[in-house]
Amino acid sequence: MTSTQQDPTRTTEAALVLDGIDKRFGQVHAVKDVSLTINRHEVLGLIGENGAGKSTLLKILTGIYQPDAGSIEVNGTQVRFRRPQDSVAAGIGVVHQEQSLLTNLSVAENLAMTASGSRRAGTRLGFYRWGRINADAAATLDRVGASIDPRTIVGDLSFVDRQMVEIARAVQVDEMVGGTPLVILDEPTSVLERNETEILEREIRTLKEIGSVVFVSHRLDEVLRICDRIAVMRHGELVAERRTDEVTEDELFQLMVGRAAQATQRDDRAGGASQTPVVAVQGLTRRGSFEDVSFEVRSGRTVAIVGTMGSGRESVCRALFGAETWDGGTIELEGTSLSAWSTVKAVKAGVAYVPSERRVEGMVGGLSAAANLTLSHPGSTRRGPFLDPRARNRTAATWFERLDVRPSDPSLPLGSFSGGNQQKVVMAKWLMAEELKVLVLDHPLRGLDPGAKEIVNEQIRAACRDGVAVVLLPDTLEEALEMGDDILVMRDGEVTGRFDLSTEAPTSLDLLEKMV
Amino acid sequence: MSDLKARPAPDAAPAAPASASRPRPRIRGVGEVAALVVLVVVFAVLNPGTFLTLDNLRTVLDQAALPLVIGVGATLVILMGSIDLSVEGVMGAAGMTFVLLSANDRNGLDLGLGAFVVAVAVGLALGLLTGLIHTLLKVPSFIVTLGVWYVGLGIATLLFGQAAIPFLTSDGLTSWPSDTTLGLPHSFLLAFVVVALGALVSRFTRLGRYAFAIGADEQIAQDNGVPVGRYKLYVFALAGGCSALAGIVGSLQLGAGAANVGIGNLFLTIAAVVIGGTALGGGKGGVLRTALGVVLLTVLNNGLILSGVSPNIQSAVSGVVLIVAIAAAGWAYRGRLRIAK
Repeated sequence: MTSTQQDPTRTTEAALVLDGIDKRFGQVHAVKDVSLTINRHEVLGLIGENGAGKSTLLKILTGIYQPDAGSIEVNGTQVRFRRPQDSVAAGIGVVHQEQSLLTNLSVAENLAMTASGSRRAGTRLGFYRWGRINADAAATLDRVGASIDPRTIVGDLSFVDRQMVEIARAVQVDEMVGGTPLVILDEPTSVLERNETEILEREIRTLKEIGSVVFVSHRLDEVLRICDRIAVMRHGELVAERRTDEVTEDELFQLMVGRAAQATQRDDRAGGASQTPVVAVQGLTRRGSFEDVSFEVRSGRTVAIVGTMGSGRESVCRALFGAETWDGGTIELEGTSLSAWSTVKAVKAGVAYVPSERRVEGMVGGLSAAANLTLSHPGSTRRGPFLDPRARNRTAATWFERLDVRPSDPSLPLGSFSGGNQQKVVMAKWLMAEELKVLVLDHPLRGLDPGAKEIVNEQIRAACRDGVAVVLLPDTLEEALEMGDDILVMRDGEVTGRFDLSTEAPTSLDLLEKMV
Repeated sequence: MSDLKARPAPDAAPAAPASASRPRPRIRGVGEVAALVVLVVVFAVLNPGTFLTLDNLRTVLDQAALPLVIGVGATLVILMGSIDLSVEGVMGAAGMTFVLLSANDRNGLDLGLGAFVVAVAVGLALGLLTGLIHTLLKVPSFIVTLGVWYVGLGIATLLFGQAAIPFLTSDGLTSWPSDTTLGLPHSFLLAFVVVALGALVSRFTRLGRYAFAIGADEQIAQDNGVPVGRYKLYVFALAGGCSALAGIVGSLQLGAGAANVGIGNLFLTIAAVVIGGTALGGGKGGVLRTALGVVLLTVLNNGLILSGVSPNIQSAVSGVVLIVAIAAAGWAYRGRLRIAK
């Protein structure tokens, strides 16, 4: 116990004290000697690039990993978390980056599952008391201001509602210890739309009244708006702690990445882009999804399609890649009209699709990163019917260096990389194809930190310079304005606006007007 | 794998208003009930005077008893996303144990109810062994239970030995399954009680609910504080117990000990679980659905026999029904690049 050496006023204020936390995985030194204090009624921002060690630190805090060295103190008492239940019992609740609700069970049951073992547990001698479970859940949901029926099956909930349930679950830890909860939010906004984010921000302010919050995010503006204090991690180390009122976004970026932000201005495109469209979509219709969609993408140009939920823009992109059928209209690829289009044909024809659900659709987590890289386009690594592992590893090493993937070992399973690094590998898988003509990007920056975003964007620009036609579904309107040459606005399955950025300069507001 | 794991992107949902996706029919099983009604009507028309009789109803219920009992354990195992192939082996081992410890013409032992207890314990132990190997050595349940199936058959064969077939000598014992109370055969009443208990367990106990949780996503369940390994053990032991019980009743029906007392029950039970609508990937389904599946298949077999269909064709018909049922169940989920393993 180290509390005797510390300023007594500080220990009573501190909700959580980390001292010299250290964790290695084999050769990877994930967390290096991190000491950090989180005060009561404080929102602490934790930022860092993908692979900076934030997730590992959080997993140590929630009992999923055990630290190799260092001590954790909660409310002045030294604790040791051997399993997730221990950290819950100490009053630490967490909203994980990846959804961690069981989608086949009801909201109430999900809440009860974490609460089991506590005083209010709705089970007695292994028997469920549904009345009690539903009532407890309703009370907890009410406390976070969520109007969700606790008996709803989680799989039927919208995304933001699920997030609210996760928060409710994290908050209920205080009812177990009867103290102030510490709630960890691990990139809760990375998958939310803008208006949903506002709901969440309100939520965090409420949480601050009853306890402490650790807020992990990639969106620096958000961190500055929400947090009282910000801790920056880089390469496993805690490199800086700043009060929000004495730091700027630029400074945070520099601390995080270790270099200054590059100008994100649109660079002047080579005007000589070829005039024949690579992709020509004419009157494309799929009943219930989209109607009469027409656009062209020329070589070396990027068309960004913006729209809200249900605008049908995802479906259009999936149709381009042969993953969805259409009822009417035509898609022409270099002048040839497509029929009986399929994903296999699309890959052969040089159409690449980077899906937004990379864990589900874009990668094979159990295979090594190198194997994933060469999965769709074995190309030079093919030796007759066999694959040459040495050639494969050489190719992979080149791409790892180009995209700055960390850890830089392509033989590790792709599933073990952090989200941003997974995305880089998924991108590279398509970029390395020599016959690449069309790149369809479905939210390529989702969940990435600013440094990784820059690298991914640079890859997209490089692909354009090589003459690839890009169709982009951006996360934000700013991204559309930065990356797009043309912007297509969709609403309820129809195209409601078009902007050619070489002649027009629309603002986000102009786009928004056509979207809603 | 199960479609549950896919998390929909927030804006990938179709433009349908929330109300359109909300009342997704929670009362599933309508298709199965309809299929049962159709079968009953068809067979009643084809076999007037023989199919819809009290005698035939008793026969159907007596035949349904074994798969009903086994189905309870099998459903819980499949809900967890695992599978139990050891059914017939465990039935053999438990059945032989029971016969040799009851009044029989092989030895002088007669432990009475004790024979029942020991036989069920054999099933529990084999289930526990399965669970231990599966959870501690991380061997897939498919392989472990395939092995335990033959271990069980081996135990039964050893117990059977070289001597003559051991017959049960107590008439009261051998006629118990087909004797009736309230007009219903005891074998079915026993199965009814087991199914009712199974339904309660899966709805109201931690054991049952955790089976659902583990089946949905083992890792998430673990992170939520579910002791995954321990509950897997319990469920496999419970499934072993169900198989043992079925082995005992099967031996009573035979009136003798036989290593292959369980033959045919594995296919029937797993088919019933799937036809009932429990997902092989885990996390979705239920004990009562399996019971419905069992009744459906039993009625089908019974009706085919009454209609004079050759027994040689029946197994093929059952196989076709299983495949059609699975294809129909997955019909709605074909889209979106799903890959079947």
